[in-house]
Amino acid sequence: MAPDPDNIESLVSRRYEHGFVTDIAADTMPPGLDEDVVRAISARKNEPEFMLEWRLRAYRQWRDMQEPAWAHVHYPPIDFEAISYFSAPMSDDDRPKSLDEVDPKLLETYDKLGIPLHERARLAGVAVDAVFDSVSVATTFKEKLSEAGIIFCPFSEAVENHPELVKKYLGTVVPQRDNFYAALNSAVFSDGSFVYVPKGVRCPMELSTYFRINAANTGQFERTLIIADEGSYVSYLEGCTAPMRDENQLHAAVVELVALDNAEIKYSTVQNWYPGDENGKGGIYNFVTKRGDCRGANSKISWTQVETGSAITWKYPSCILRGDNSVGEFYSVAVANNYQQADTGTKMIHIGRNTSSTIVSKGISAGHAQNAYRGLVRVMPQADGARNHTQCDSLLIGKKCGAHTFPYMEIRNPGAKVEHEATTSKISANQLFYCRQRGLSEEDAVNMIVNGFCKEVFKELPMEFAVEAQALLNVSLEGAVG
Amino acid sequence: MKPAALSFEALRDAVERLPDDRLASSRRAALAHLAEHGLPTTRNEDWKYTDLAPVIDISNRWLQRERETAPSHEREKMVEQVCRSIDADWLVICDGAIDNRFATDFEQPGISVTRLSEHGGELQFGMPLSDLNAALLQDGLRIHIAGGATPSRPVGILLIDHAATSPGMSQARIEIELEANSAASFVEYHVSSGAADHYANTVTTLRLGDNSRADCVRIQNRAGNHSQTGRLSVVSGRDSRFRHCAFDLGGKFIRNDLHVDIARPGAQVEFNGLYLAGDQQHIDNHTRADHRVGPATSTQEYRGIVAGSARGVWNGKAIVYEGADGTDASQTNHNLLLSDKAEVDAKPELEIYADDVKCSHGTTVGELDETALFYLRTRGLSEHEAKQVLTRAFAQAIVSKSPIASMHDTLADRIADRLANLLQGAGA
Amino acid sequence: MLEIKNLKASIGGTEILRGLSLNVGAGEIHAIMGPNGSGKSTLAQVIAGHADYEVLAGTVTYMGKNLLDLEPEERAREGIFLGFQYPVEIPGVNNAYLLKAAVNAKRKHQGLPEIDAFEFLKLAKEKMALLDMDPKLLNRGVNEGFSGGEKKRNEILQMAMLEPKLAILDETDSGLDIDALRAVAKGVNALRSPDRAIVLVTHYQRLLGYVEPDRVHVLSQGKIARSGDKTLALQLEEKGYDWVREAANG
Repeated sequence: MAPDPDNIESLVSRRYEHGFVTDIAADTMPPGLDEDVVRAISARKNEPEFMLEWRLRAYRQWRDMQEPAWAHVHYPPIDFEAISYFSAPMSDDDRPKSLDEVDPKLLETYDKLGIPLHERARLAGVAVDAVFDSVSVATTFKEKLSEAGIIFCPFSEAVENHPELVKKYLGTVVPQRDNFYAALNSAVFSDGSFVYVPKGVRCPMELSTYFRINAANTGQFERTLIIADEGSYVSYLEGCTAPMRDENQLHAAVVELVALDNAEIKYSTVQNWYPGDENGKGGIYNFVTKRGDCRGANSKISWTQVETGSAITWKYPSCILRGDNSVGEFYSVAVANNYQQADTGTKMIHIGRNTSSTIVSKGISAGHAQNAYRGLVRVMPQADGARNHTQCDSLLIGKKCGAHTFPYMEIRNPGAKVEHEATTSKISANQLFYCRQRGLSEEDAVNMIVNGFCKEVFKELPMEFAVEAQALLNVSLEGAVG
Repeated sequence: MKPAALSFEALRDAVERLPDDRLASSRRAALAHLAEHGLPTTRNEDWKYTDLAPVIDISNRWLQRERETAPSHEREKMVEQVCRSIDADWLVICDGAIDNRFATDFEQPGISVTRLSEHGGELQFGMPLSDLNAALLQDGLRIHIAGGATPSRPVGILLIDHAATSPGMSQARIEIELEANSAASFVEYHVSSGAADHYANTVTTLRLGDNSRADCVRIQNRAGNHSQTGRLSVVSGRDSRFRHCAFDLGGKFIRNDLHVDIARPGAQVEFNGLYLAGDQQHIDNHTRADHRVGPATSTQEYRGIVAGSARGVWNGKAIVYEGADGTDASQTNHNLLLSDKAEVDAKPELEIYADDVKCSHGTTVGELDETALFYLRTRGLSEHEAKQVLTRAFAQAIVSKSPIASMHDTLADRIADRLANLLQGAGA
Repeated sequence: MLEIKNLKASIGGTEILRGLSLNVGAGEIHAIMGPNGSGKSTLAQVIAGHADYEVLAGTVTYMGKNLLDLEPEERAREGIFLGFQYPVEIPGVNNAYLLKAAVNAKRKHQGLPEIDAFEFLKLAKEKMALLDMDPKLLNRGVNEGFSGGEKKRNEILQMAMLEPKLAILDETDSGLDIDALRAVAKGVNALRSPDRAIVLVTHYQRLLGYVEPDRVHVLSQGKIARSGDKTLALQLEEKGYDWVREAANG
């Protein structure tokens, strides 16, 4: 049954209202990682045997792997034995009792982003009543989806209710031993989202983590799996423009996307984890593995990301273009200010015939930040007619930051056509003066120029997300000029 | 797979057998450096696409066998051929040994040619393979251009090697210095012959004085079974100009490193290159420009035509240091891939730590332009002819950038020969 | 309205303006002429507040305020408009967006509410019609890929929308064909009003045939060498700048 578009729109516009948080009675495990910890995590989640075995295999592989060192980022060594791999959501006793107890600076930022009051409380970790009027929103939302046969639930719920789907697809895009952090995630992942869109179904709404029941604490090792069956379509929104604080410094998420014949997945991210203060103290290490598999003919996977948060970002949302005529896209805005470091980009692996990929990357560096684009375009010998176009632009604001480009092109088919362009620019004094002569403040002029620089990417975001992303960019670059 | 290792015992013996001259202490220091750091492996980002195993293998076999002396008549013929075809004042290094006849007679106003062993200075060996070069170096050439001198003819340096029956290996080292306000041009020509495997390893340094100019052309046309690694390091002076054009036409396993250090403002640096690879050839060009100060300009354009089962690698890197305002760096790399067994790996890198800069790169890999092909065919050319015309034009773009105009015709001929060969193999 | 006394200014250590004095009253149109390098553009940039120019001495008073104390955007909001000799390209930033942001910045300064989007568009299209501008230019990046004539018309459009009290047009006539010149002149004449002053900085007499100035000043070596009425421009055209230079030196 076709959903009522008006109703959906009203749901979407109320997206800041969120589901309730159930009380999970659990404590925190002592730091350190061994097989017993993996077993304990699995047991606590009441996982079936196959899941435990899968985790253990990942753990054994991780044990023998080396932390990657090739990225253009620097940080003190991480002590993996000092991390607690299972922690319950913060109890209400530890939380601020009201917004009065929250850092005023944080509240100021919420204000600038225009975040509704009750949402601010949740984001700032204030203990709030579990039941909102939005429960009904979530319920309506779930009903709509299940009418269409779409499964959208926490990952742990999928393991319980749809083990056959999990078994069939988990780890088929990002294998357990793909890389150090993916292996770690596979061994200890906490929770995440699971989406299955059946054959021929066009998902009637943007799937967003905002709607997710129990979205509050998915933990530092998030795992997401999205499967678009033949001829289906789904658009998934992840993240939040509001600054997210988290006690866990290391985040190592894994996202796997599978698009079968004629299916399309659009995955949009706004990442705004705590970036550390203006002196580079604190901040999240965000080491993420995201990969989509265009497994079927004529399938399409499109990644759009706006990365403004985290002290360190290490993230390469990729597409394996296996199906003939499949299409991969990557649109990225990465902002690094103060002492942030970002090493991000994509991989496009052309295997099928007539596959095509587009990469548009916009990097903005300010303060003392280092911002690197790293991308791979590989065309396999059988990928006749493969096409890639890459546009990679950097914008520098200030004299102490860095902008770097590391593209790799590995081409093995004579019929392939691969083009890569990169430019570097700064906001010129002439541009600023021109805008100021027209009466704009310097800050507004910078924001305007930066948003113009990112326009190609913003237009790929769902409308309301794009508006917020712009506001977010402005806040992220505050104090970058002058 | 275990990475191939150089047999150090044999290497140490070989170093010990070299004459106890003024270079001896440098050789031993280089050997120690090599022992400590080893040779780069594909785990090293700069050697990701080039595994040194084949040349390590040749080195080991060479180290463990009796050396042969090359038959002089064949060598003489090649020397004569090259020297006649290109107008230059020639210096010759045969199998890593300086040919006395050329070096001793070399008399040009403003140019002085000496042997490194006469100077006894320290050899530079901090970079990969330059330590191997220094350790096994018999002797090298030092070419000095006096302040204000502007010799009219290019200085030619012919590097020739021969391996008839047993594996060969040679080291050559050339140090060039241009004093302030001088201008000179240089041709570096690499050839080889013989049915046995051979590996040549060269190190060239070029120091440009303030307001000096150097124009260089490097042609590598080794036998199809021979390998080479070469490193050229340039340090540019204030308001100096360096232009370099490299042509890789032959060889089996080739790796070139070109590194320009812009340490004084006002430098203009341009380096271009063409690589034609077919059969099992592996040709890797790595370039790097360090913009330490501004204003300065570096531009580069490399083009590759890759056929057969060959692999063409290009990695261009520009680093703009903090405060190097006024830097203008651009990199371009275009490739034609002619066979489904061939591979092109391209990596244009920018590392930028200053904001008042203009940096860009553009890379393409693909086939000939279909519109142009069609256009030529409507004018009556066969598809084969049209492809030949366009491929030649693709290569010619680099020839016309070559800074020594008198060589253009010779270069165009050599390239046409090699291209005909490649296109035949590609079935075009 | 604008009172400049003994203004000395330099760029990069080179003194360009060397004691320039000028009074411009409301409702007047002044033309400032002079050979290349005489300081015409420097004067325009200093009035607008470009940071590269250093004011060494003198005063600039605008509507009774010390202009030199104000930031460029404050000057703009107070009603000073500079038509740039080389309008800047800002890729990706929509022309209409800048225009609207500028209009609103000024309205906010005046305590007025933001302009209604519909009204803004209507107004912009009206003004564009007056200047014979293609309305499509509104949706392009600011000056991005505009022809020389389009850029200059775009400056006049911005001026028309912002309704400044004091407009300085720096070589707005240079590089224009006759149609564009007429369109620009039409735009300038439409803005003529008793409470507005316009300063035309120009190398040639050409524009003055379409926009009649009340006063003409000739700049030479950073000073006003000669002032007069519109006939001075014609004299200049005839006798060339050497005539002024000689007169100034003699």
